[in-house]
Amino acid sequence: MLAIPRAIIDKVGNAAPLASLVGIGLSSIGLLGLIYLGKRFPQHTFIGYNKIILGKTIGSLFMIVYLMLSVILIGLDTRQFAEVLVGGLLPNTPIHFSIFFMLLLCAVINYSNVSTFAYIHFFYLPLIILPLLVVILPTFKDIEYYHLLPINGHNLSLNGFMSGVVTMMGGISNYFVISMVIPYLKNPKKNAKGGIWGFFIGTFLVLLLNTVALGAFGDQKILEMMWPTLVLARMVEVPGEIVARIDAIFIISWIFAVFTTLLSYYFIVVRGVAEMINSKNYRFISVGTFLIAFLIALIPSDIYDVYNYLLFLWVGGVIFYILYVILLVVLAKVLRKKGSAV
Amino acid sequence: MSPFFKKRTKATQPKQTIPKSEIMINNENKQVSSCLEKNVEHFEEIFKNDMDFLVRKFYLFETKPAALLCLKSLVGKEEIERDIIRPLQEKILGPENQDVHYITENILYSSDVKIGKEISNLIAAITTGKAIIFIDGLSESLEIDVKLPDKRSIEQPETERVVRGPRDGFIEQINTNIALLRYRLPVPEFRIEKTEVGTRTRTNVAVCYMEDIVNEDLLQEVKKRIDAIQMDGVLDAGYIEQFIQDNPWSPFPQIQNTERPDKAVGNILEGRVAILVEGSPFVLIAPATFNQFYQTSEDYNERWIISSIVRFIRIMALIFSLTFSSFYVTVLSFHPELIPASFVVAASSGRHGVPFPVFVEVLLMELAMEILREATVRMPQQVGGALSIVGVLVVGQAAVQAGFVSPITVVIIALSTIGSFATPSYNAATAFRMLRFFLIILAGTFGLLGLAVSLMLVINHMISLRSFGVPFMFPFAPGNANAIKDSIIRAPFHWLKTRPESLNPKNKKRVGGRVKDKAPYNFLNEDGDNSEET
Repeated sequence: MLAIPRAIIDKVGNAAPLASLVGIGLSSIGLLGLIYLGKRFPQHTFIGYNKIILGKTIGSLFMIVYLMLSVILIGLDTRQFAEVLVGGLLPNTPIHFSIFFMLLLCAVINYSNVSTFAYIHFFYLPLIILPLLVVILPTFKDIEYYHLLPINGHNLSLNGFMSGVVTMMGGISNYFVISMVIPYLKNPKKNAKGGIWGFFIGTFLVLLLNTVALGAFGDQKILEMMWPTLVLARMVEVPGEIVARIDAIFIISWIFAVFTTLLSYYFIVVRGVAEMINSKNYRFISVGTFLIAFLIALIPSDIYDVYNYLLFLWVGGVIFYILYVILLVVLAKVLRKKGSAV
Repeated sequence: MSPFFKKRTKATQPKQTIPKSEIMINNENKQVSSCLEKNVEHFEEIFKNDMDFLVRKFYLFETKPAALLCLKSLVGKEEIERDIIRPLQEKILGPENQDVHYITENILYSSDVKIGKEISNLIAAITTGKAIIFIDGLSESLEIDVKLPDKRSIEQPETERVVRGPRDGFIEQINTNIALLRYRLPVPEFRIEKTEVGTRTRTNVAVCYMEDIVNEDLLQEVKKRIDAIQMDGVLDAGYIEQFIQDNPWSPFPQIQNTERPDKAVGNILEGRVAILVEGSPFVLIAPATFNQFYQTSEDYNERWIISSIVRFIRIMALIFSLTFSSFYVTVLSFHPELIPASFVVAASSGRHGVPFPVFVEVLLMELAMEILREATVRMPQQVGGALSIVGVLVVGQAAVQAGFVSPITVVIIALSTIGSFATPSYNAATAFRMLRFFLIILAGTFGLLGLAVSLMLVINHMISLRSFGVPFMFPFAPGNANAIKDSIIRAPFHWLKTRPESLNPKNKKRVGGRVKDKAPYNFLNEDGDNSEET
């Protein structure tokens, strides 16, 4: 939420809104694939139907790769979070503490109860969306339209454009958690509506944020900023002067957002590993994930290093999320594999 | 695939049981003897020379020796003399009528009379305030309920005062409490089931519910948990609460208690279960959600707009009491740039000469406040007033003048403490007040990050709590459009058509459709057309 505008504009310049749109479009293919699979295998999670479609050995192999990818993402995202805090808010606090606290928040959740996970997301949703809107909406008056033109960027190669698209897709990739919760829904066959709504509300906000950031600052100025969204937040003036800078509230809401994002990955990892090794000892797995993610978070040397790793992961992740899901859908149809009915 | 982790098989421990009373075990299956002397001696052996143990010997129908045994302290003397001994002595009947059934049916005036044969049952009866009559030559005895315990009168509950609403409150005697409920629920569907808990105190516990509303699973679970309690003594409803709650490691109460019959009845009508405990003026209500802890019964008595605003203020006060002091610490010691410069100047100029950092200052003041609060509760009432004056005026004023604390800190602490007293439920408010220390410590150490993290730990914990299967944060997470009408706001009654879905009641409807009223004729209210006609 803080870094995405800069990351995309860095790649594609003025074409950021267009790239975001294309990214959303491509991601929704992956989403539709997941929803289709969820309908076909209403009693299995992603891990479960993988094994059914691909067979035990190959399925498990892919799943190990997938879960490792998720753990690494947890680690890097946490590190990114800690870096932002050090840069913007707590310059004297060692990053270890921020990383520790964030992972601790995820690790102490009780994963044996899927409903708790859903309730937590539901509770924080308005606390994230409202401050974001408070930041975005007043900024509309600052948008200069010439910042947004030309809409397809300056002399952009297809390759460069696609890298922006991939960045966007990486940024919004945690819709994947839907594949782990479908079997626990009251009515797995009717998951499509909720999933699509959730996806489009979330991605629309990101698209809006990218457009507003670009429109307000222009592509050159934004590259000088580390976190354009934070700058946007600082521009908002509060009448009454109770809180001089709205960005404090925005940062708290951003901490909520980071937490829910991490929690989604964490959920995938803990539930996924538990299903792989056929165990119900969620607490043990959760502590193990905590330790691994903590170590991974300490690997990059600085924030630029984090983005290098993240970009690499996003490219890999996107291939996985889209192509692999399409592959699964096709195989499931061709091989006529089907989950047991509810 | 075999499980990766070895399943830990719990060693089957022998179920811990509390030893039963030896006297009761010795007397189990013993029958009443037909010899009067033997029976009386047996009881005298058990009760030895207890001060209140009474053996009154007399002649039944002037011929047959008989004896009445009871514990004087528990029974009504007058009732025994008038309704039992008098008729038994005065009438003169032949030996063919000297039979317990005949005596019960024709002679005794008491309403609650049983015929007993087993000694152990008789011992239990005598200790709960019944009188026993042995008659020579009969191997059956009479148990007569003449219990007359001392009780205080029904008064307004001290802990839950209302401006508008009924003034009666529960007292210690369970029978009076049941009467208060029955009086408000004169319907045959209202059920009261009694069990006994506590091997020594043998406390009566009553589970009350509406037969056609309550969810059957919930009811069974409540009864199961109460039956599983093993303890020697249950002295208050709080004992039961701690045995049957879901998460004993949580600071939050998961079962509501109330002293108000109207509140209990309201909850029973919503489909909850009320648990009455002998000897306690507090009635437990299960399941409870966070939602209930900032509501009062008065909210339903006043106009809905006013009630909604008052509820909103209460929630604000609750959030204030939890976060205000820690936010103050964070802002002043880590992020002074977050508040306008004039505020920072005002706050820090007041701190001139204060020897402590804000964090320590606030922590000390909060601690002092808690000590004052605790002292005020424990103090004898006559001294309490003096103490609060000393505490608030003298200590606070002196501390500020001595330059020990800054005046703004005092204001902040006072505000957050008063905020917590605006919460109607005392135990929920205390939970939040204690969690405040946790927040202050983390916020004082890690700034805004610590504040956000500690707040999230509290929220996540609250979301993961369950009370008898009902999510603790029910109308907020998971969201429920119907139930939110009776949470932060209190919607008008014609919106509250159904009972809360979280309780899954058998009978969902509770408010019928609204009929548009027609105003009665009044000539002052006439519009132009009508007046022309007349």
